[in-house]
Amino acid sequence: MNQFTSQHRKFLYLGGILLLLIPIIRLGMPGDSSGKNAGTIAEMRTRLDLGESNLGDIDPSGAAMNLVLLGLRGVAANILWVQADEQKSHKDWAAMRATTESIIRLQPHFVKVWEYNGWNLAYNVSAEWDAVSDRYYWVKEGGKFLQQGVKRNRSSSDLLWHTGRIYGPKIGLSDEARFFRRYFRADPDPQFKGGVDPAWNERDEDNYIAAKDWFAKGNDVEGQGNRQTIMDRSIFRSYPARSQLDYASALQKYGFNEEYDRRAADRKLSESEQEALQLEVREQLREQNRAAWEQGFQEWTQKYGQELFTVDYRGNIVTIKMEMNEDDVSDIARSPEETKVLMQAVTAYQNMTNYRYWRTRTLCEAEPETAEAHWLLFAAMEEYRKQNLEKAREYAERVMTLLEGVFKKYPELDVEEDLVEDGINAVMIWQYAYRLSGERPPAEYPLKALYDSRASEMTEYERRFNRRFLPY
Amino acid sequence: MDFDPQAFEFSAAIWSWLLICGSAAAILAAVSLFFCLVSRGGAGATAWANEIVGILQDVISISPRRVFALAQLTFREAIRRKALLVFVVFAILFMFAGWFLSASSLAPEFQVKVYVTFVLRAISWLLLPVVLLLSCWGLPEDIKQRSLHTVVTKPARRLEVVLGRMLGFATVGTIVLVVMAGVGWGWIRRQLPEEAQKQLTCRQPVFGELRFNDREGNPATAGINVGDVWEFYSYIEGATKARAIWTFHDITPDVLDADGNLRLENRFQAFRSHKGDMRRSLYYQYVLVNPETGLRVPTSLKTVVEFRGRTDLLPRALPRVGEAAQEKAGEAADGKGAYDLIDDLVSKQPVLNPETKEVLIPAGSLQVEVACVDPGQYLGMARPHLFIRMPDRSFEAGYMKAVFGIEMMMLLVVVLGVTASTFVKGPVATMLTFCLLVIGQSAREFMSKLVNNEEQGGGTFESIYRLLYHMNPVTELPDNPATTAMRAIDNSMVSLMWLFYNIIPDFGFFSRSLTYLANGFDVSFNNAVLPGMVITLGYLIPCVLLGCFCLRNRELEAK
Repeated sequence: MNQFTSQHRKFLYLGGILLLLIPIIRLGMPGDSSGKNAGTIAEMRTRLDLGESNLGDIDPSGAAMNLVLLGLRGVAANILWVQADEQKSHKDWAAMRATTESIIRLQPHFVKVWEYNGWNLAYNVSAEWDAVSDRYYWVKEGGKFLQQGVKRNRSSSDLLWHTGRIYGPKIGLSDEARFFRRYFRADPDPQFKGGVDPAWNERDEDNYIAAKDWFAKGNDVEGQGNRQTIMDRSIFRSYPARSQLDYASALQKYGFNEEYDRRAADRKLSESEQEALQLEVREQLREQNRAAWEQGFQEWTQKYGQELFTVDYRGNIVTIKMEMNEDDVSDIARSPEETKVLMQAVTAYQNMTNYRYWRTRTLCEAEPETAEAHWLLFAAMEEYRKQNLEKAREYAERVMTLLEGVFKKYPELDVEEDLVEDGINAVMIWQYAYRLSGERPPAEYPLKALYDSRASEMTEYERRFNRRFLPY
Repeated sequence: MDFDPQAFEFSAAIWSWLLICGSAAAILAAVSLFFCLVSRGGAGATAWANEIVGILQDVISISPRRVFALAQLTFREAIRRKALLVFVVFAILFMFAGWFLSASSLAPEFQVKVYVTFVLRAISWLLLPVVLLLSCWGLPEDIKQRSLHTVVTKPARRLEVVLGRMLGFATVGTIVLVVMAGVGWGWIRRQLPEEAQKQLTCRQPVFGELRFNDREGNPATAGINVGDVWEFYSYIEGATKARAIWTFHDITPDVLDADGNLRLENRFQAFRSHKGDMRRSLYYQYVLVNPETGLRVPTSLKTVVEFRGRTDLLPRALPRVGEAAQEKAGEAADGKGAYDLIDDLVSKQPVLNPETKEVLIPAGSLQVEVACVDPGQYLGMARPHLFIRMPDRSFEAGYMKAVFGIEMMMLLVVVLGVTASTFVKGPVATMLTFCLLVIGQSAREFMSKLVNNEEQGGGTFESIYRLLYHMNPVTELPDNPATTAMRAIDNSMVSLMWLFYNIIPDFGFFSRSLTYLANGFDVSFNNAVLPGMVITLGYLIPCVLLGCFCLRNRELEAK
């Protein structure tokens, strides 16, 4: 038994409490209005940008939840993760989505949590659904989820990049790309009445242009000293320019049908009206597409190509930029050895980012002849579909002549599969048109060398060619 | 929909209850007699008999008036202990719940699921701890404060004390539950977006039995697994003879809707092995079959609506398809030009096994075969994924049944808590009841696997051994005396586990009501409400007797 009375004990406890309060106050005291005279912890929080408001928008509900859980946040988060996984395997999407929301309220600044769940919704959950419109809904959910993450974590360049990836490659490169791209401009959800989902495509623009914006924001944040942790910096910084190139490619591939259908809407057009509209759209897109490639060239060479990268190349710390040739390297190098190392570094990084290829490709695609060849091939296909064989042959022959000129000017592009396939398709239409008219095609023709060099892959080219004329 | 509502085996449950209660009573009687004899010799047997007679007298001479008076006392005590403060927590939770439930972008039927689940779970999770604490601390506190002396010195029997406590706490819990349920209902109606309000309904399903045919048309136990971790769904391959065949019983004109249509609702899953035509969902087709005559009537192709479900209206007069069918129709439908769904497709006689004369399919049955039409693609399904949808009931009716399910669970917690408090002190009683609740809610599946020897890797000691020696669960253990001894100990522990498994209540039955309602179904009386009532009653009777016995023999002077 101790000798203290109850009153003594209470005083003792009070004294202990006051004693412990001194270091707590000293360490955790908030700063004054100027942010000065803060406690050690508060000062460190400000210095390291770890304050809730410094990291991003404050979520009161999440903060309340964390407080209520006292020290059990980790336990609660673990239970929720297990639940979410089980709900996913049980295909209980509503519950899984709700659990995901709860998880991020507990872990709002854990970037990997946002990344994982954003990916999960946009890729894994989306793939579980059969209807393309449902898949698109979950792609949007994944993207919107990441946007939420961006708001809560302003200094995360990773999250901005991941958001850009949903807008860009997920919508534009998936198997459902031709549906997803249209849905991006005309949402299938009845509540949007055929227009855009304003929370998803606020400015009613192409998905790759939206992606470019997110990638550019990612670059801005990264440029402010917030390191990205996804890939080599030289590749990471190329994404805005790459999005412009993807935009130009998509315009070439899907642009005509998308624009034609948008303009025709639900109108019933006579055959002559259809032809007039097709011509109009073709003319508009020819220039629009060429301009997109030209802008792509500018952004690839003048923006991305001029960025400085300090890299460790075989033990040498060198500063390079992608748009560098031997003359540029010689100008800045102080010795022949340095020239050699610098040139090797530039070449290695250009190869890694495919810089030279895209440079040539954009240059070539921005040529009026190439643009003309693409749209003539499109016209040839349309005529062939309608079995207007003479017109189809005439267009195809013009494509072949134009592309022969392009390949002569840019011989390195004979590995560019899209362009090569366009050439092979033109030759196929040209040959079929002859044969279906009961004539033998001439032995010599433009692009013959290219066509012959791909003889071993012709079955695959034919399969793909025929697929273009299937109903879907 | 991820639940498969299996029928509650009422008669089996009663037999099981009688067996367990009888065995437990016999064991308890034998053990207590043994101790009486050991401690007091021949006089012990007399004391034991007197005790049994005393309990029986307690039961026979129970006075509802005294029980009610004790319940009133308990009720007042509970209010005095500020039990109703739970409303404050409840109010705060619902004031801010909207922040946590950002489900507005979800499809309406999914929003309903999120909101309904939240409300019913919140009510359960707030109510149960309150009644658990009240019931576990009531009697021990009375003993500690010696206020129980004022009761036991009155002509009140111990059984009445136990019953009065239970009734009093149950009344408090019921009042709290009714208020919370009312607020919860109002909250759902107010918070749920207008579009989703239309989905607040209670489907009345008629489920059938499901079997499969494989791609060659032979009977199979299940379809194909297309790689899902969860093996609930079975898939049938498109453009083959693979079929999912549902047999519905007791089909009469009453199952048709007001317009004379049979409403078949399905929740099929699509699985594509190649992209195919992405502009449309996969096709499926129903073939209605009379199991007695073998008459088969195909319907038109329909497209799958995944996860949301699709309701198909099949008219009573089914149009004939093709010439062969027309010929048959001439025979079967008396040349009327169409098959009658009830007269021609529902069996009038039972289908018997030709050898054993056993009834395979009873009279009044209709078979629905489901085929996937697209080659190379698959349709996934489980038993509850096709049902006949009867006219819907109001959401409120289902909601009340779900609340009744919570009420039953709350009553069981009160019963267990009060019983535990008759033989142990408050904190121990709380821990005991809490453990029973947690195990009964979440660990019964695991226990079932252990006691039925379905869990790979053996019991406790075998598992430890395997962990230490890095052996996977299927590796054979060396055949030696140590292994034999280890397994013998494990088996004895599993036997003990078997005992606990049969004693611990299955709280899973109580959450069935929630699952029904959250999935948009009317809460089935036979599969959800009745099991809850039967389980609660099944524990009430032995618990009251046990509580009475313990309280009669408890030293009330001991704090």
